[in-house]
Amino acid sequence: MKTTLIFLVIFCTSIANAQTLEVGLRVQKTQEMYWENGVSAQFSFAKFKPEQFFLGLDYVTSRLGTAYQSNAIKQDSYLLSGSWLFNKNKPYHIVTRFNMGYFYSDLEEDMFAAIPNTSFLVSPEVGLKYNFKKMPISLNLGVGFYIITAKEGYSPGTLQPLYYHLDLYYSILKTRKK
Amino acid sequence: MKKISFLFIYILVTISFSCSGPTITDDLLDGEVVFDPSLYNPEQFLVSAKYPIPTPADLNKHIILAVHGYTATTFEWQEFQDWSVTPSYRISQVLLGGHGRDYNAFKNSTWEDWRSSITSEYEKLIALGYTRISLVGSSTGGTLLLELVNSGYFNNHLHPKNIFLVDPIVVPSNKLQTLVGIIGPMIVYVETDQTAAENNYWYRFRPYETINELNNVMSIVRKGLENGMTLPSGTYLKVFHSLHDPVASTTSSVLIYKGLKTSSGSKIEVQLIYSDIHVFTRLNLRTKVTLLQKNNQLDVFNQIANKLN
Repeated sequence: MKTTLIFLVIFCTSIANAQTLEVGLRVQKTQEMYWENGVSAQFSFAKFKPEQFFLGLDYVTSRLGTAYQSNAIKQDSYLLSGSWLFNKNKPYHIVTRFNMGYFYSDLEEDMFAAIPNTSFLVSPEVGLKYNFKKMPISLNLGVGFYIITAKEGYSPGTLQPLYYHLDLYYSILKTRKK
Repeated sequence: MKKISFLFIYILVTISFSCSGPTITDDLLDGEVVFDPSLYNPEQFLVSAKYPIPTPADLNKHIILAVHGYTATTFEWQEFQDWSVTPSYRISQVLLGGHGRDYNAFKNSTWEDWRSSITSEYEKLIALGYTRISLVGSSTGGTLLLELVNSGYFNNHLHPKNIFLVDPIVVPSNKLQTLVGIIGPMIVYVETDQTAAENNYWYRFRPYETINELNNVMSIVRKGLENGMTLPSGTYLKVFHSLHDPVASTTSSVLIYKGLKTSSGSKIEVQLIYSDIHVFTRLNLRTKVTLLQKNNQLDVFNQIANKLN
């Protein structure tokens, strides 16, 4: 809850200075592990590399994926990201992104309290983004890799490194350049 | 044009790496000199081979099939055999298919081949007339036993009295294991860091094909647990898991606890063990054994034996 509030404060402060604000849905699959879906938002600043540098906030959870109505582990990932878009004047862009965040898996029972279930997240990503010309919609396809440095047996088991995601963004704010 | 060049280079690199296998010497289990002794002396390891014509007194005994893990051999459960002096039960040490032989036999084996040794011995014991049979599996041995439950194998066969799982693997601790499906053809095999003595009882080299097989059976069991699995009626199951297992993530046992119920809908039992070694019931050939590790081993041996007596 505390983590969610911190993320919301950062989000609200940042959009006040936003040139572009995109919000959308994320569908994510981890290699040999869960579907984790959620929401994604990103914005660029009018005074710093508009349309090229984006700050983003993402939340994905297995509660909206594999763990929905199943016995899979319920887990949440909160991410803060910085993205750099290449080909900024074209409808399609190569995207490089760096994420930092926090992972939590709910093991539910007291007897499992000693099992590692949280982790800080760091992951580089590459992807492709396509902006539809006549609609305020864009698609972003990315592949990322969580850098997990914990000793084997000391990090959450269902946190695995390689993941793919597809984001569908809707631009709710796009300030014209002056 | 550039894309075609990259693809060509990838294929070339993959093919060139694929042609290079590990250097296998005769002192390794992977070679063609050292084999698991159960292959040429099965009557020392399998109850069905040792007592092909069981007496009524033999049939009255409780039999427990001991199943080892990925790359291991019957050695993994030898300590339990040596520790068990009670006449009330007998241990049948199964060698998984593709294991205990050589690198190529292992490379060409599938998880179904590994499993076939378990069902073969189980069905031989039933055919001989045994009615009290239990199972214990370590690591992948545990995964294979869960797969038998998931596949409904026991719907058409005698229900086991007990199933014990030691460090079962449903989720790996090694984070690179889930990548083998992609990078496998390039890495070809993975070499394990183990002692010269352990080279006699565990394959040192793990062909990527077999890691894929392991991932496949883990995935099947994980999905089964996500959907919910039920034990055969009358079967008791308990899981023992090292708290910081460096091979089979302890989360595996959380998934088993959440996804597997007894036939009456009750929860199964799980006991976490304060340990950071994988298959903590095997202490022979470990470089350093602590009193706690010895006590952990004896605790589990006693619990299993008490259920069989």
